[in-house]
Amino acid sequence: MTARHGRPVALAALVCGALVVLPPAAGAQPRTPVTRPAAESTVRVRGVVEAGGRTFTASESFDAVLGSHAGPLFGAGADVLVGRTLFVSFGVSRFQKDGERVVVAGGEAFPNGIATTISIVPIEVSAGWRFAKPGRTVIPYLGGGVGWHRYKETSDFAAADEDVQFTKAGFQLLGGAEWRASRWLGVAGEAVWMSVPNAFPGGATSAAGVLGEDDLGGAVFRVKVLIGR
Amino acid sequence: MRPFARLSGPSAPAVLVLAAVAAWLTTTAAQQPVRTRGVKQLVSELNAPGIDRGLRDADSPRPAPTGSGRRWVNGRGAEYLSGSLIVRFRPGTLPVTQRALLAQVDATAGAALPYADFDIVTLAGGADPEAVARRLSEQPDVEYAQARYRVRPMFVPNDTLYSRQWNFPQIDVERAWDINRGGSSNVVVAVVDTGVAFRSGTLRFTAMAWQRDDGVNFPALGQVDVPFAAAPDLGADRFVSPRDFIWDDNLPFDLAGHGTHVAGTIGQLSNNGMGVAGMAFNVRLMPVKVVDTEWDYIFDSPFIGTDDTVARGVRYAADNGAQVINLSLGREGDPAPAVRSAVEYAVSHGAFVVVAGGNDALEGNEVERYAEFAPQIDGMVSVAATGPDRRRASYSSTGSYVELAAPGGDFSRGGAVGGILQQTLDLDLVETFAGPVSRYTAPRFDAFAYFYFEGSSMATAHVSGLAALLMSQGITSPAAVEAILKQSATDLGSPGRDNEYGSGLINARAALRGLGLAR
Repeated sequence: MTARHGRPVALAALVCGALVVLPPAAGAQPRTPVTRPAAESTVRVRGVVEAGGRTFTASESFDAVLGSHAGPLFGAGADVLVGRTLFVSFGVSRFQKDGERVVVAGGEAFPNGIATTISIVPIEVSAGWRFAKPGRTVIPYLGGGVGWHRYKETSDFAAADEDVQFTKAGFQLLGGAEWRASRWLGVAGEAVWMSVPNAFPGGATSAAGVLGEDDLGGAVFRVKVLIGR
Repeated sequence: MRPFARLSGPSAPAVLVLAAVAAWLTTTAAQQPVRTRGVKQLVSELNAPGIDRGLRDADSPRPAPTGSGRRWVNGRGAEYLSGSLIVRFRPGTLPVTQRALLAQVDATAGAALPYADFDIVTLAGGADPEAVARRLSEQPDVEYAQARYRVRPMFVPNDTLYSRQWNFPQIDVERAWDINRGGSSNVVVAVVDTGVAFRSGTLRFTAMAWQRDDGVNFPALGQVDVPFAAAPDLGADRFVSPRDFIWDDNLPFDLAGHGTHVAGTIGQLSNNGMGVAGMAFNVRLMPVKVVDTEWDYIFDSPFIGTDDTVARGVRYAADNGAQVINLSLGREGDPAPAVRSAVEYAVSHGAFVVVAGGNDALEGNEVERYAEFAPQIDGMVSVAATGPDRRRASYSSTGSYVELAAPGGDFSRGGAVGGILQQTLDLDLVETFAGPVSRYTAPRFDAFAYFYFEGSSMATAHVSGLAALLMSQGITSPAAVEAILKQSATDLGSPGRDNEYGSGLINARAALRGLGLAR
């Protein structure tokens, strides 16, 4: 979103571009054009419903406030398949957890009894390559992209200007494998690594600042239900 | 023996008798450094309720009580008591070695005192305690030796209700009360000070003749029954483990008004339809008297307010469950290892200690020896004072040891109402010695008024009150209390920490809110 995120976004675009432009070794093998199914040159759209869990790079900060740096997430989205191998995915997910505000001293957190709720909604756009072959029922894939992460933190006793809400851009790299259960239904397991640098302010105004953590990213492990061909 | 001349001159035979008695007393004193002197006798448990004599903001300024009339020696920046000093031997030093070391300086140790990890030793002759302390400190078996420096309360009182308490909005206390309204009765704050008007009673004292600092002689009043009452705006049922180290009993009555005023800022009853408010009005208060004032002197108290008394008071407070210890007192001069050791003990037992930063910016800005070691102890903070304009009070000492700032009042910029308003003893009925001899009468401590005081004492009490609110929120680690007080402070003066405001002006609401993940 901001100029200082240009580098990670550009890096992600480069990775995606490379994945799209550079065919994998399997794709480079000689194949007979007449055997290629007509569907490979078409554009298909399928719906995605996902559930999983995520951990956060700012583990100490999330541990301090939420008592854990991991939690469940749920989401939905859509995949656009260009031919058999290229894909572009759009997804939105949501993480939400309750905790307590804290005092941090000497690296240790002391909850002060004031309830707080943190929700994070990443909107991800990724592109990548599916290592699809005729007859394969399990298709690995790799990709990367950019994301916009909407962060919201509310707490008891907060005045209107004391709750926090912002959106920060980051990038992600992903990999997984999908399994076609039927012509219209598939399941995928996916791991995503996200980075959202400079999301939290430094200094003594936040638990993350005191603990020296500023990245809203982390790792996501999710199962996707793919609806469509 | 007495620090000041009596009024009436004894006849010749009487002189001989007195001399013989004095010689015997001197010998006894050499074996028992702190002997019983004046007698304080509780003659009645009951007294009428305290009398509220209203707001006193139009009186002409009155001088601060400055001394108790003892025999003090002017040292390097601080007065100290002649004839004795504080010594701590290293663990394992044999008693015979201790006696030999003391004999080298013509000193003898007294009986062990409760709440003390040091000895009070008596010096023979006129040896200078500071010089002897330096000699003893050079011995490998001596951990420290120091003179018995005099401590004093950190205030400059002025004779001068909630709308008048500019100090609370300055540190966002009203919005803090939205989060925690007055704290919990599970939290105990020790007011280690001149005592507190904490209960009713009538005490019988003997008032001796004495001489004021300006040379005016006051006659002996003989035996007097003095009425006491609990300050109406403090309540009478919230005091725990009272202890008087000046009179060595459990009746730490305030004979000057300082401790009662400080206790008011910490925990004045609030939202009760009378008077003024306090920071943590639900917490319990532990009155611990360690500072003697004029009437203690006139009544000839057996103990006096020196480092050893303060150290014992701090240890007592920690041992008896205080989670916050307010030290609105201090001194200049040489370092204070006995008090430092006591504070470290208290912090290690879970108490958060707050100490006044000093009032000497206009008088040489000498190093405050209690505040000096606060930055080295996680769980103790030293406090500077601000005026109504949020600027450092003109008198508030500056230095590398200043860690936080809080409202202390500043008459020089805020006028008579620029101080901190709390209920305390009616000083007109207490300081009967402040005027001419013709108006000198026995005091009474059962009448109260609302007075503006200024000083880092008052600032200290705000921080103690906030610490008590934090403790009530479950932040029980002294180091964590210190951390959030600093993290949430409003930066004033030069950006970042500075020698005037430390980390800045405390912000009660921000401290109580603590930290979220992102803010």
